[in-house]
Amino acid sequence: MTQNMLEVRNLVKRYNGFTAVDDLSFEVYEGEIFGLLGPNGAGKTTTIRTVMDIFKPDAGAVQVLGQPPGVAKGRIGYLPEERGLYRDIKVLDVLVYLAELKGTPRPVARQRALAWLDRLDLADWANRKVRDLSRGMQQKLQFVAGLVHDPELLILDEPFQGLDPVNVELLKGLIRELQAQGKTVVLSAHQMNLVEALCDRIMLIHRGRAVLYGPLDEIKRRYAPNAVRLRTSAAIQGLPGVARTEQRDGVFTLTLEGTTPQAVLRTLVERDILVEAFEVATAPLEEIFIAVVKEASDA
Amino acid sequence: MHKVWTIARHEYLVNVRRTGFIVMTAMVPLLGALGLVVASFFGGQASAFFERQFAPEPKQIGVVDHLGAFTPILPTHQDRYHLFADEEAGRAALKADEITTLLVIPQDYVESGQVMVISKGGGFSEAVRVDSASMRAFFVNHLVRDEVGPTLRQRLADPIEPVLVSLEGEGKPGGGPLNVALNFMVPYFLGLLLVMSILVSSGYLLRGVAEEKTSRIIEIVLSSVTAWELLAGKVLGLGVLGLTQVVVWLVSALGLSGGAASLLGVAVPLLAHSQVFFLGLVYYLLGFLVYAVLMGAAGSLGTTMQESQQLAGIFSMAAAIPLMISGFVVSNPNVLLLRVLSWFPLTAPTMMLLRLPMAKVPTVDIVGSIAVLALSIPAVLWAGAKVFRTGLLMYGKRPALAQVVQALREA
Repeated sequence: MTQNMLEVRNLVKRYNGFTAVDDLSFEVYEGEIFGLLGPNGAGKTTTIRTVMDIFKPDAGAVQVLGQPPGVAKGRIGYLPEERGLYRDIKVLDVLVYLAELKGTPRPVARQRALAWLDRLDLADWANRKVRDLSRGMQQKLQFVAGLVHDPELLILDEPFQGLDPVNVELLKGLIRELQAQGKTVVLSAHQMNLVEALCDRIMLIHRGRAVLYGPLDEIKRRYAPNAVRLRTSAAIQGLPGVARTEQRDGVFTLTLEGTTPQAVLRTLVERDILVEAFEVATAPLEEIFIAVVKEASDA
Repeated sequence: MHKVWTIARHEYLVNVRRTGFIVMTAMVPLLGALGLVVASFFGGQASAFFERQFAPEPKQIGVVDHLGAFTPILPTHQDRYHLFADEEAGRAALKADEITTLLVIPQDYVESGQVMVISKGGGFSEAVRVDSASMRAFFVNHLVRDEVGPTLRQRLADPIEPVLVSLEGEGKPGGGPLNVALNFMVPYFLGLLLVMSILVSSGYLLRGVAEEKTSRIIEIVLSSVTAWELLAGKVLGLGVLGLTQVVVWLVSALGLSGGAASLLGVAVPLLAHSQVFFLGLVYYLLGFLVYAVLMGAAGSLGTTMQESQQLAGIFSMAAAIPLMISGFVVSNPNVLLLRVLSWFPLTAPTMMLLRLPMAKVPTVDIVGSIAVLALSIPAVLWAGAKVFRTGLLMYGKRPALAQVVQALREA
């Protein structure tokens, strides 16, 4: 049975008359990677902070792991958008302290921290001060700080921001691995390619409201531009139902009107046109994102 | 509660290793040890040493006697006082450093009392020397040399030997002005040290909070514990840190005085004022609580360390007012202004720590100030934790007063 790890119902949060989150509802299922998208200032971080019990909602209800926010703090891992670590303290001590604050017993915390440091090639730095680490190492240490207490639900606010490409790959791998271990991950991000690569379901927030919510593949299908892409060296004029043809690097993008991709393929076969590749076009998430936000802004 | 403990331990361990803390803590025992060395260097009796410091005496003194009452100089004074035939000869000896001071006693001395005091440096210190007990004895002995017996002569030179008895019944022979001074000064300095310790350890709290805020780690911490737990843990950890400092000071003072240092008279006044000592501890704890919470809130409000420190400066100022007027406290411990300051929560702890050793403080002031503090601490804690939570999460801008007020209302 799928349990809701996170349930947000009609959440409203205002600051000084400005409504940052406006009647937002969503849920996150166990074991999925859930993406929270939106332009800057859309209300992502406010939503996350409310879930983390850092802010109190003005209206609405939040249930985290079946309980009100703040009750299950020890079972949640959090990587905030604004990041930092104690700079004058030893790497291992920082990890052990943060895990202890989550309620992990000291010896267990120590053991896990050492295992993580070893895993991320930071074992030699365990007894050095955080300030001695390079930026890339501090980024790795920062993820570990959110994981070392072995949480069931991970909430990552803009986790890829400011990361070098090596660490982006590392974190992607780590998130997939955590999902494979049965953990649930909520991440907010701007980088659409990363969201596309990782998320099972997404919600797009704009001006504090959800403008798009559901499984990623379904959304992509819904926003498919009714076009096909094909690679061929033959001439393909005069196909019925093709409104527009664009060619770029030997790939044709055919915008369809009053027909289906299946019908186009049938016509191509019937005409015995040699097709090297054929696919139903989907819009990149980025385009959907821009289109939806634009539409919502105009509305 | 477990988390409060974890935070307290973390804060304690991090701060106990700070260089500033170690220097400050080691300073008192080191100064004490230094005092011991100095005292033993000056030969056994430290009290004699101090007396010499406060009332230094000239080594060799020349006398030009136009009156005739000082010729010849009595045998008991001959080792230090030397007659010169005229002022010229005396000045020459002064120039040659054979004497340090030249007294020219005019013919009309008995009527006018005027004595010309000539010295190389001159000035204030010379006037003090001339007024010293031995100089007084020199004049009295010669003026009445044949008229009265030696005992009365001595009494005339030093008519009052005070034995202080106070109405509280603690009166015991003080054993001279030095002991009286020590009886006052040692508890007074203890009060000063406690005040310093409060300011230093609450200063660490300010620094720690501002550091956590500027380094952005605060959000991770707040996702694990409540603002209340964080503040309580910090106050507890740093409070124990401050107590560690005080205990090190006391133990070192007692340790030093257990040995040869008892001649410094450090331990005696402390042990004699056990009630002051106990109340001092109470005010120390209450004072620390008030200041620690205020500093924590101030630390959370600033966007940078400097800004936080400026905000906290307002509170440090209040704590320092009693210190600034401490000279006044020594002379008039129960004057109205000081009593008013004892009833105001921001100044009460430091004011009372300074007043307690000075005199019998009215019981109503003790009870009143403790009650005021005990009542204001929960209020300060409650408001502090609210402001703390709001301030901590605002980066880049300081919350306006209105937002602070709103945070308080949104309890």
